[in-house]
Amino acid sequence: MNNQVDISFDKLYNEFENRIKSLEKLPALKENTSAEKMLIEKGFSRRDFMKWAGAITAMLALPSNFTPLMADAIKVVDRLPIIWLHMAECTGCSEALLRSAHPTIDSLIFDYISLEYHETLMAAAGWQAEENIEHAMHKYKGQYILMVEGGIPTANNGSFLTIGGHAKKGLDIAKEASENAAAIFAIGTCSAFGGVQAAIPNPTGAVALSEVTHKTVINVPGCPPSEKNIVGTLMYYLLYGSLPALDAYNRPKWAYRLRIHDLCERRGHFDAGEFVENFGDEGAKDGYCLYKVGCKGPYTFNNCSKNKFNEDTSWPVQAGFGCIGCSEPNFWDTMGTVNEPLKDKLYNTTFSGLGADATADKVGLGLLVATGVGLAAHATLSAIKPPKE
Amino acid sequence: MNNTEIEYDDKLGTKRVRVRRMTFTMRLIHWVNVVAMVVAIATGLYIADPYYQSFIADDAVDKYVMAWNRWGHLIVAIIFDVTAIIVSYLFFFSRFEKHYLKILPTKKNIIEFGEVTLNLLTLNRRKKFDSSHSDSFNSVYFIIFHILLAWMLFTGLQMYVHALASGDSSIGAWWPWMLHLVTDWTIPFSSWLVGTTATGGNIMDVRIVHHMSMWIIIVWVVFHIYYQIWRTIFWQEGDIAIVVGGSKFMKIDKDGNKNIE
Ligand code: SF4
Ligand code: SF4
Repeated sequence: MNNQVDISFDKLYNEFENRIKSLEKLPALKENTSAEKMLIEKGFSRRDFMKWAGAITAMLALPSNFTPLMADAIKVVDRLPIIWLHMAECTGCSEALLRSAHPTIDSLIFDYISLEYHETLMAAAGWQAEENIEHAMHKYKGQYILMVEGGIPTANNGSFLTIGGHAKKGLDIAKEASENAAAIFAIGTCSAFGGVQAAIPNPTGAVALSEVTHKTVINVPGCPPSEKNIVGTLMYYLLYGSLPALDAYNRPKWAYRLRIHDLCERRGHFDAGEFVENFGDEGAKDGYCLYKVGCKGPYTFNNCSKNKFNEDTSWPVQAGFGCIGCSEPNFWDTMGTVNEPLKDKLYNTTFSGLGADATADKVGLGLLVATGVGLAAHATLSAIKPPKE
Repeated sequence: MNNTEIEYDDKLGTKRVRVRRMTFTMRLIHWVNVVAMVVAIATGLYIADPYYQSFIADDAVDKYVMAWNRWGHLIVAIIFDVTAIIVSYLFFFSRFEKHYLKILPTKKNIIEFGEVTLNLLTLNRRKKFDSSHSDSFNSVYFIIFHILLAWMLFTGLQMYVHALASGDSSIGAWWPWMLHLVTDWTIPFSSWLVGTTATGGNIMDVRIVHHMSMWIIIVWVVFHIYYQIWRTIFWQEGDIAIVVGGSKFMKIDKDGNKNIE
C-alpha cells in the first residue's frame, strides 16, 4: 500500500517538474530578477523563503520533499499572466493582501506576479487603462488567469456599475474576461457569493461571478480571504495546471474542507459546556468557547483556525472574538447578529412580514402563549357552562 | 383487522362496552416518542443556546456537558427515525387499523371531521359522530404530527450531512450521498419559508426553521394533551386510558346500539 502511494507521488513530482520547465520557457514579465532575489532584497533570508515554501507545500497536502519544487515554482510564478477585475466591492481583498503591517512573503509574491491589469495597482489611468485590459485580454487569450473581486450588479441591465470613459458595464467586462480565461478565481465573498451588496434588499441585483458565466469559477471566499488561500489557489493551479477538487460551493477543498469549529483551539471548552457569557467575564479570561457570544464557527467552512493570519500571529477566535461566518454564502443575511447566537437571528419577511424583527423563540413562544390562552378560555367555558346532562 | 371490535363486559352491566383502540406496539411507540420528545427538546434548546452550567464547575473537571447533550440529541433522533419508519409502515399495512382510510377526503370523513370540531367548539353540546373508533379529526391531527416529525428528521439529517463536507464518512461515501439525495430539498424549502436571502437558498435557514418547528411541535403537544383530557372529562368514556391500557369504554343503549344522538 505504502509503495503505491510513493509511486503516485513520484509521478506527481515528475509532472510538476515538467510543468515548471515548460513555464520557464515562457517570457518573464520582469527581467534580470527572480522572486527569490526580490525577497532577499526586501530583507527576507533564504531560510525564511524555504520555510514559507514548506508551509505552502504542507497546506496543499503535498509531502515535504516537494518543498524545493515549490520554491522553483515560485520562481516562475511571473510567467502566468493575470487579469484582476474590480466589480462591486470595497477593495478590501486587495488591500488585505497588499497592505499588511509589514510585507509578508505572500503579499510580496502577489506584488511580483505578472498582474497585467489591476485597477488599484497599475500606473495607467483613463483611456490608457481601458486599452491595457483589452490588450491583455487579446494578447493572452485563453492563457490568462482571471481573478475577480466584487459582486456583479445585474439590475437595470447591469448599469449600476460602469467602468472607464466608454462606460463599459462591469457585467459585460466580467462576462467577456471570463470567456477567454484559462482559469477563473472569484476572490472574496462578494465575487464568490454576491457579498454585502447582494444582501437584502439587494438594490443593484448583485450576484456571484459564477452566475454570469457558464465557465467553472473557483470560489475563494472570505471577507477578506486569507492571503494564504489566495496564493495557495494560484500555486495549486501553477503546479497542477488544473483546477483543484471543489466542494458544493466550488471552494477548493484543500482550504475549505473543514469547519472553523473543527480545528478551533477553544473546542474543548465547547464540548465541556464552558462558555463566555459576556465579553470580558471570567470565562473570557480563561479562554472559554465563544458560542454564546455569537461565534459562527460551527457553520463556517474555512481554515482560519489552522492557518491564522498575519504570518501565524493570531486569528479572530484566538483574539477573543467569534467567527462571523464570512466565507459562507449570504452570510450577511443568514448568520444573524454578530455577537448573538444564531437562534436569536431576527426574521425579516416571515409570514409576509408578520414575524418581522422577532426571533424564532419569540415567534414560537407567541404561538405557545396564544394556544395556552385559547385552551384556558375553552377549559374555563367548559367548566362554567357545562352542557346539561 | 377490526379495531372497533366490541367486547361485552358482563361485570359492568350491559350499558358499557370495551373498545380496543391501541395495540401494545402502538402504545409502546407512543411512550417511546414521549420520552424521546422531552429529551429532544431539552437537549435541542441547550444546543441552540447552552442555558445551564457554563460557570458552575471548576476547570479540569470531567464534564462533557455540550458533548453529552449533542449525543443525547442524536440518539433520540435515531430513535425517532426508527419509530417513524414503523409508524409509516403501520399507517398503511396495520392489520389492526387502516389509519390512512380516515384521512382520505371522502364525504364521510369530511362530515365527521366537521362534527368532531363542532363538538369541541360547542363544548360537547353537539355530538353527532361515533366516538368509539378513531375519528378523522384524530387521524388528521396524528398526520400533522408525523409530518412535523418527518420534517424535523429531514432538516436534522441535512444539518448532520452538512458537517460531512468531505463527501466521505467512516462507513463510505454512499452515506453522505444518500443523505444529500433525501434531504437537500429542505434547503430551498426552508429558505422559501423564512425568505432570508435575496439571492437564494441557504443552509442556515434550515437551522432556523428546525428551531422554529420545535415550537410548533410543542404547541401540537399542548393541544394534544389538553384535548385528550377534555375528551376524558366531557365524554365520560375513559379516552385517556387508551394510551395506557389500549381500550376505552363506549355507552350503548338498551338495544345494544351505540349512543349517538
Ligand atoms: S469559539 Fe467558535 S469555533 Fe471555537 S469552539 Fe467555540 S463555537 Fe466553535
Ligand atoms: S474566523 Fe470566520 S469570520 Fe473570521 S475570517 Fe475566518 S471564516 Fe471569516
